[in-house]
Amino acid sequence: MPRNSDDEDRKLYSERPEWADVTPVPQYQGLNPIAPIFYTPQYKDATEYFRGVISTGEKSERVLELTEAIIRMNPAHYTAWQYRYQTLIALKSPLDLELKLMDGIAIQFLKTYQVWHHRRLLLTALHDTPSSSSSQPAALAELAFISRVLMVDSKNYHTWSYRQWLLSYFDDVHLWTGEISFVERLLEEDVRNNSAWHHRFFVVFGRGQQQGEEDRPEVLKRELGYTKDQISLAPNNPSAWNYLRGILEQTKTPFSNLESFVQLYVSSEPPKQDILDLENPAPGESAELPCVAALEFLADIHEQAGADRVQKAIEIWKSLGDKYDTMRKKYWEYRIREALASS
Amino acid sequence: MPSQPPPPLPHFARTGHAAHCNRCLTGLPSSQIDVDAQTLAVGFYCLGTLDILGLLESKTNEVERKDWKEWIWEQVRTGSYGTGFKPGSYMTPESKSLSETDQFREFDPPHLIMTYVALLSLAILRDDFSKLDRQGITKFVRSCQREDGSFSSLPNSGDSDLREVYCAFAISSMLDDWSGVDVDRAIQYIRRCMSYEGGYGQEPSGEALGGTTYCALASLYLAPSSKHRDPGTSITPTERSRMIRWLVQNQTLEHGGFSGRTNKLADACYCFWCGASLHILGASPLVNSTTLTTFLSSCQFKFGGFAKAPNERPDPYHTYLSLAAISLFPPPSENKDDPNYEEWKNVSRIDPLLNATLETEKWIRRHVPAPSHYQTFESHEH
Ligand SMILES: [Zn+2]
Repeated sequence: MPRNSDDEDRKLYSERPEWADVTPVPQYQGLNPIAPIFYTPQYKDATEYFRGVISTGEKSERVLELTEAIIRMNPAHYTAWQYRYQTLIALKSPLDLELKLMDGIAIQFLKTYQVWHHRRLLLTALHDTPSSSSSQPAALAELAFISRVLMVDSKNYHTWSYRQWLLSYFDDVHLWTGEISFVERLLEEDVRNNSAWHHRFFVVFGRGQQQGEEDRPEVLKRELGYTKDQISLAPNNPSAWNYLRGILEQTKTPFSNLESFVQLYVSSEPPKQDILDLENPAPGESAELPCVAALEFLADIHEQAGADRVQKAIEIWKSLGDKYDTMRKKYWEYRIREALASS
Repeated sequence: MPSQPPPPLPHFARTGHAAHCNRCLTGLPSSQIDVDAQTLAVGFYCLGTLDILGLLESKTNEVERKDWKEWIWEQVRTGSYGTGFKPGSYMTPESKSLSETDQFREFDPPHLIMTYVALLSLAILRDDFSKLDRQGITKFVRSCQREDGSFSSLPNSGDSDLREVYCAFAISSMLDDWSGVDVDRAIQYIRRCMSYEGGYGQEPSGEALGGTTYCALASLYLAPSSKHRDPGTSITPTERSRMIRWLVQNQTLEHGGFSGRTNKLADACYCFWCGASLHILGASPLVNSTTLTTFLSSCQFKFGGFAKAPNERPDPYHTYLSLAAISLFPPPSENKDDPNYEEWKNVSRIDPLLNATLETEKWIRRHVPAPSHYQTFESHEH
């Protein structure tokens, strides 16, 4: 392992002869500041030299070293990031090397917004014509890197945003095509990973839609099949049900098309199926039934049908409020009131 | 079914919460270095906590309050971008003349989110705003808006997502001056952040998230009405139902608090972000305040302050937002015979749109907008 530049035994900048020509600039304190932080000597020293180089406008190799040291102590120091980026550009530094250096920093500080923002800037600067074929290998490599980070933290919001940005920026069919199998790998590991479900929606119905897949009915069929399979494996999974609702609403498909499927999940016992119905996979033996989301879905079908079926919806909402989802009793009562008011 | 009696309310650590924030106002250990570039926000959460507990006057003294006001005003910077507040002095040189050079104007600039929290903090401290450069702030807001309608946190750089949109809207509402905002364009941006689940992501195409759903909703309801738009009407009835459904679904069965995203664990801050969103939508009775109180009380740290979840360390951010959630959703009246009931109820009411106590909001409305020179003239006219 290479030694990080924030090693404890590193000399202070004020003790290093190669920094002797820079005048450190102390920080303004004021009389009684709000929430002042008791800085470590290393942080105080490094930021004084940082203010020093800012005051002269210096952009040099050693500024890259200094800003890296500050970032490793405080990755949320956005001015250090900002100045580092400007220095890289001014020095015409090889940005692919910077990207490599940032791989380790990204994994170490993946919860910090700036880490990902910096990568966006680097990728944009490296590939100002993102559609050119020469950009493709780099974008693929970057996707592979993001996948590695998502293995460490599979629900990190910044990492997913960055992946979505990258796909949209390069917008290349070869990038989009791998996304569905990537999502499926993650959902195999954790079918409740809502970020993965969201990403699937983004790829199939959002920004990724324009690529290939012109046959929309076929796509909808595939998505319904996949989602139903995932629900049968783990029925009480709001992410999958939200996705199901999302794709139906997006494609203006009536909920009632799913009636025979949801019927399998609304009684207390798993249904006895003599013939395996691949279109409508049933819940497993160990499933906790009835499934609240299925009851809710069925009630929505009844409500949409209107007329005397509204009463059936009301009965389901009552059972949810009184028995199956008592925590949201007030919500189910509200659904009853709304339905009565509009019928 | 007979309804169960609510569980007994635990002790409400009122003075402990105030003490936690007072300690943070005095200073933070070096382990908190990641908030170095946002100390004003930490200050707001601490002052907000004292304000919401009604303990600002008794737990701080006049000299401290005066010094804090002075310190906040010291964060004002003016440049070609207009006027705003910077996050603190983490980049500010000791020498005043140096801090006024172009170099530091560029690398120690005002910040949009910090400008919002500065105005709130000054109002909590009952500043008279006589030093406020209103036109400069409007100009600053304008220089942060980008082509796509969003706002960046710094002039020409920094984050730009729904959080900054909210701050731009809240600042304009406080000033009662919307000339810094292209409202229609910003609303178009907000709409692009809506997700299929019902909530709003942090940026367009993002996963629905409690915090940014609040930002989107509060912005839409703060937006001034115009010929073609009333507050909140940028949301269709279908979208509203879907949003309410998703928000209510985020109150988790396991712990009774709200999570920020589907299938995540409950977190104290999302009790405010999701709860306030429901409040804005006029759906606050749909929150289960019994389980919410149980969850939040379990996030109380024994020496004061709230943590994001039970058995975690407290911080001012989760402390303030937990109290703001309790203010919007006090324990239900079934608890009224509980010996701790009054303590839990004794929290100032807040305005969920600006995220300030009603008294502070009133102060803002009276003192932040430009004093009208035309009032007397107009009243003569009509
Ligand atoms: Zn939180």
